Amino acid sequence: MKKIVVLAAIIFASIAVACRQQQDPPAPPMSGLPDLGIPVGPVPGPRKPMTLPKDPYMGDPVATQEGRQLFVWFNCAGCHGTHGGGGMAPSLRDQDWLYGDDDAHIFASIAQGRGSGMPAWGTKIPEQQIWKLVAYIKSMRTKEEPDPPLVPPKPRVRTVRAK
Amino acid sequence: MKRQQPTLKAVFLCMCALLFAGSDLGQAQDGANNTVPGQLQSVHLVSPVPDGDWQLPAGDYANTRYDPLDQINTGNVKNLQVVDIVADGITRGHEGQPLVVNNTLYMVTPFPNNLLAFDLTKPNFPMRWKYEPHPNPVAKGVACCDWVNRGASYGDGKIVYATLDNNVVAVDANTGKQVWRTEVGDIHRGETTTMAAFIVKNVVMVGNSGGELGVRGKVTGLSLSDGHVMWTAYNTGPDNDCLIGPDFHPFYKKDQGQNLGVKTWPADAWKHGGGPVWGWISYDPELNLVFYGTGNPGPWNPDQRPGDNKWTCTVWARDPETGQAKWATQLVPHDAWDYDEIMENIPIDMNWDGKMRKLLLHPARNGFMLVMDRTTGELLSAEAFEPVNWASGYDLKTGLPQVDPAKRTHTGIYARQVCPSSTGGKEFVPSAFSPRTGMLYIPAHNTCMDHEAIQANYIVGTPYLGSSTTMFAGPGGYQGELIGWDVQHAKKVWSIKDDILPVYSGVLATGGDLVFYGTLEGWFRAVDAHTGKVLWQFKTGSGIVGDPITFRSPDGKQYVAIYSGVGGWMGAVAQPSISLDDPYAALGVTGAMGPIKTLTAPGDDLYIFALK
Repeated sequence: MKKIVVLAAIIFASIAVACRQQQDPPAPPMSGLPDLGIPVGPVPGPRKPMTLPKDPYMGDPVATQEGRQLFVWFNCAGCHGTHGGGGMAPSLRDQDWLYGDDDAHIFASIAQGRGSGMPAWGTKIPEQQIWKLVAYIKSMRTKEEPDPPLVPPKPRVRTVRAK
Repeated sequence: MKRQQPTLKAVFLCMCALLFAGSDLGQAQDGANNTVPGQLQSVHLVSPVPDGDWQLPAGDYANTRYDPLDQINTGNVKNLQVVDIVADGITRGHEGQPLVVNNTLYMVTPFPNNLLAFDLTKPNFPMRWKYEPHPNPVAKGVACCDWVNRGASYGDGKIVYATLDNNVVAVDANTGKQVWRTEVGDIHRGETTTMAAFIVKNVVMVGNSGGELGVRGKVTGLSLSDGHVMWTAYNTGPDNDCLIGPDFHPFYKKDQGQNLGVKTWPADAWKHGGGPVWGWISYDPELNLVFYGTGNPGPWNPDQRPGDNKWTCTVWARDPETGQAKWATQLVPHDAWDYDEIMENIPIDMNWDGKMRKLLLHPARNGFMLVMDRTTGELLSAEAFEPVNWASGYDLKTGLPQVDPAKRTHTGIYARQVCPSSTGGKEFVPSAFSPRTGMLYIPAHNTCMDHEAIQANYIVGTPYLGSSTTMFAGPGGYQGELIGWDVQHAKKVWSIKDDILPVYSGVLATGGDLVFYGTLEGWFRAVDAHTGKVLWQFKTGSGIVGDPITFRSPDGKQYVAIYSGVGGWMGAVAQPSISLDDPYAALGVTGAMGPIKTLTAPGDDLYIFALK
């Protein structure tokens, strides 16, 4: 059902873009990625309701687990921390979302890249895998988080003291 | 205690100052004034020490970080007070140290790596000029451990340093105008530059950072006159690339053979095998050799690179003008712990087992205080200065560490309770040596780790890591320690423990028998060099990860300067962008650094102190 809604949103957005193209100057070439309908910047005037596409995998434990694997596989863990706590790049576990916390915002940050070092993965990672990454990132700090950052219990081991 | 009265010493020093007024390091090198008042008979300094200025990252060629100034001494240091505080508006770790040349103080900031010049002849040291190199902001995204810079060197009327995006810049020390600019690395391949450029004669030497991003480690030698690249010495790959030629005579059998930088790796793995150079370079004018160490191999997962992985975790001796290698000793073959051996290497002549020897002191990241013969690379001594269990010691005959296999991680297998952690028995923060005490003052850590290797994928420009690591305080529960280490007898004389945080600042030793250092909490301290007694301390605005210096102003007064501004690798946990609920975050340091979030906060300032 969700997928249908997303597809409908994408088709609608594409038609809207196509209609506008008849009057406006030539639009930049499409990237092949879905148009998420996110404004490029603040829109002047009063706030308007905005319906952004939702992650089709949200709440799907298998996809979320796959997202965790992709997070390690594509070296997201190297910058954002093994479990997303931050390091070279900001934490994904805190409440601050520099570029928005909607599913579509996170999708866009991964696909388009961001300033100060976030690579644009849109041409490297297939769309469905990006949505799985989004599902994993949004699962952090919830009981659904796969492979949460637990400290392994410490066996007692003899250590050599310095002289 | 046979110590001169401070007043007598001061008079003597003033006489020395008059005698050598106007000299700089280059001239002193010819004059070879390498003795200081009160120097032990068993010690010979190989490099002139500073005379009022601070022209190189460590003050001198030998990286002793010793300054004979003694106006501030154990008797009067209690009267030390702040005379100036300068903010740079940056909230990133302020590593490194200022320079002082011809009555001007020069400060390099963390990214965007601006160079600020302050006039020491005027009250409150007003700014003379500011040079802005405008490095590419993309560099911030490939810098492993904060956007740091470890300082500049002075030579031939120029201040020379490297920006985070690998541009070496030479700036006219008088006018602040750029003289030349040369790019020596590629941020799109994960390279950044954080180390202090080092100048010997007409050669500027600078290495690359990026051991966590699959770079190929190297040092570039550039012409001080015009910035053209004179040589590049890689740390992996064929002998030709490593500038290994007929002059190369490694001491140990394990380091002898052709093209070991290729043969000790799986096919092509050396091309992104790490071994960066981001610490300190030292120089022995008598042997005409520079010394520096190389960083960890990449990725951290050792199973992905069977072999010794030369020349990572290695100390090199090279001719500074040609870059040609004289010897190399690999300290950690096939590293599995991220034991970058980029630590300072201090050339010093000392009485060793009854005769004067040309030593190289290397307080290693791997927790051992290594003493080498710097003419050959032979290991003479290896004593742990903090709790160590990855190896029981070194076999001095073979030069190999005696490794505990249980402390070596493999893919999917945790090595537990490994000491020290990746951050080392000490980090890059430099120690200081006093020729008056024969002691090395080591800023140390006692941090251990649980460490699991995981499969790493090489994707150019992203981390090439392959590790899941978390750290915690080691045996005894303390995390940091300033150690007074008797070099000749290879033992701890005194220590000042920090229960909560590692010691992450550099150290300065002075003719006033004082040792200066800072804590991650922000305390700046003066300690009695003989006893380790804290004689004075001052709480700066942020945690200290910089290195103290001292200098004499035109009015003849001695000053001490230090950067305050927390950051770097371990210190970065103070940044709001790191969450404590992932103890594996920030390459594992988050597990050990939780308390820092309430003990300090980022924000850079330069502090300058003088007597009341």
